[in-house]
Amino acid sequence: MDEKVPRSNIIETEIPMGTVHPAALEPYRVRFFVEDEIVQEAEITIGVNHRGIERIMEGLPVQKANALTEKICGICSNSHIWNSCRTAEMGLGIEIPERAEYIRVIMGELERLHSHFLYLAHGCEVLSHETFSMRVFYLREIVMELLAMIGGNRVQYGCSVLGGVRPRCELDEAKILRIKEDMDKVEEGLTDFANRFTADPIVMSRIAGIGVLPQKQAIELAVTGPTLRATGVARDLRTTMFEYDNFDFNVVTQPDGDVKSNLLMRALESFESIKIIRQAIADIPEGKLVNHDWEMVDTDITESYIEVPRGTLYHSYALESGRVRHCIIRTPSMANIGAMQYACIGDQITDAQLCIVQCDPCFTCTDRAIEIIRR
Amino acid sequence: MFESTAINSVLAVVLTVIVCFIISTLLPGIERKYIHARIQQRIGPIVIAPGIMAPLKFMFKENVEISSPVPKLYKILPIICFIVVLCVLITLTPQAYKIPALSSLVAIVGFLKVEEICYVLMGSLSKSVMSLRMPFPDLVKGGAHLNAQRSFVEDISAKRSLRMITYGSFPLYLALFAPVTAARSIFLQDIVAYQQANGPFLFTVSGAIAAIVFFIGYMIILNEYPFSIIKAKSDVIEGPYMEYAAKYRSIVYLTRGFFMFVLGCVFSVLFIGIPPSIFSWGILVNIAVALIFVFMMGILSAFSPVFTNRQLLPTILGATLLGVLSIVLGLL
Repeated sequence: MDEKVPRSNIIETEIPMGTVHPAALEPYRVRFFVEDEIVQEAEITIGVNHRGIERIMEGLPVQKANALTEKICGICSNSHIWNSCRTAEMGLGIEIPERAEYIRVIMGELERLHSHFLYLAHGCEVLSHETFSMRVFYLREIVMELLAMIGGNRVQYGCSVLGGVRPRCELDEAKILRIKEDMDKVEEGLTDFANRFTADPIVMSRIAGIGVLPQKQAIELAVTGPTLRATGVARDLRTTMFEYDNFDFNVVTQPDGDVKSNLLMRALESFESIKIIRQAIADIPEGKLVNHDWEMVDTDITESYIEVPRGTLYHSYALESGRVRHCIIRTPSMANIGAMQYACIGDQITDAQLCIVQCDPCFTCTDRAIEIIRR
Repeated sequence: MFESTAINSVLAVVLTVIVCFIISTLLPGIERKYIHARIQQRIGPIVIAPGIMAPLKFMFKENVEISSPVPKLYKILPIICFIVVLCVLITLTPQAYKIPALSSLVAIVGFLKVEEICYVLMGSLSKSVMSLRMPFPDLVKGGAHLNAQRSFVEDISAKRSLRMITYGSFPLYLALFAPVTAARSIFLQDIVAYQQANGPFLFTVSGAIAAIVFFIGYMIILNEYPFSIIKAKSDVIEGPYMEYAAKYRSIVYLTRGFFMFVLGCVFSVLFIGIPPSIFSWGILVNIAVALIFVFMMGILSAFSPVFTNRQLLPTILGATLLGVLSIVLGLL
């Protein structure tokens, strides 16, 4: 595949979009440089939603900091609190009960399902195909209800705590049965959607070959998560996470790196999530939910990476007297911004927002990084 | 005698227009409630919400001063669009046939062209906050291509509208002229008389093909999915209508419903030979045709993503070729 090269000479017209635009779920600004409606270059600017959350966390007791990390993102809130607890647990040497690990995995995979469904629905909406969008939202609703059943809320579940999971997230027989039934419904609905979606020639003409990100470029830009896997690179951190040791699943890849590959990637990955959830509820061991048998000690910087719906999530903590001395959080969208800018090049401006959406951006979560430019 | 006939004619036209306008306010609601919402398995708005309640609500809202280089012209454009649609309907009424210059296909095409030009002007005169210029941060942080000419998203919409005038409206105008091949006249009176004597043009091979082309043109001129490139949500959002608020937006909504109905009446006159008249049962055919078009449009738009230039150009080319074929078949 030919490499797309951003233009360095003078470009006719700049079309700025945002910071407010209905095709974007979040506030960000993008400048498209176009010639005859073909995007020659794009520049994304974030920062309008900076909340300084890392600074707020410094000095807080680690338990409060954990709870606060959940507020970073409304879509992958569970991923943040999970990784935050995981980082602190690694630093403090806390052992997690196996049942709690299983529940964390179930929550993580349910969150992946609802995130991927949101992605598919939003992708269809940006395509202006409201009917497909609505159908995916109905599927997502089943998952949201399951998350509410386990965590007590539809968005901020507060599932993970230091040493395990909250007692309210215990899975009894009735809950397990409902998860099992609902996974059947989700699988049936998703299969139906995927078949209809791929059989629609008009939709395929809108998404095939659009927003292509070649594999070489994706690796150079350090792209992460499903966006990387949609270029054919089988890299998934879940294969290295000890929580997933007992589960059998495939790392899904797609060959082309375009919008079609990205959309199919999420749909196929959702089937793998359903598979993991089924294994988890079938094999969930008995036992306690929280390990209280640990002591607070000072720790040096501890780092943890996990695979969340959008890619690799990084948390690091240093603790002193039970409080956070240092904290850094890096979300996957940070690494994917370069891919979003690159994917737009060479396509129509009507497709440009779709090219950004295909990388599943979550700019509000990313809005805490500070770029230091040394001149 | 002449005075009483003239008064009766004016009264008939006014009553026809009022009835058609009232019915037209229901069409957007029918499309959204009974087609889009049903297909998407949701409840949808109440039928009178999009066509009656929304315009009424906007009519009494406080107006926001429009960001436009020529605000007065920008604000008057929806009113011009409404008047154009009204003129097309008046042209179609049997009473207007007494003025041949008004009741001809050339007049209808002329009115529709004014409507299309209004979209170009609306797009080029709108400067919305949706593509707010923020040159200062770009300069400060050393953004890319600082010499590029900055443009608002509505400018793209205006350029697209201009392109639609040049090639996008071909199918509709070809379909409009297809009945001329049978009636051998561009005057509506002759076209109607021909069909009343020989049966509807729709039931000929040429007419059936032209009807398909007309439907595609109908969707293009109404800017409905999948042909809504001048107001594609993914880039230009509402396009030419973006900055209209309060009573101006109300007029935009009313015009859309009215335009749907009037285009249905155009089809009834040209393809079935039944003009809209309050004193004739034929008006029920006009209403039925308008409803059928709304249903077909709703179904097609619910199952289609918006076309970009890549899909739009071949579709328009195909429809244009079909239009040419229908005219050729009509001439044989």
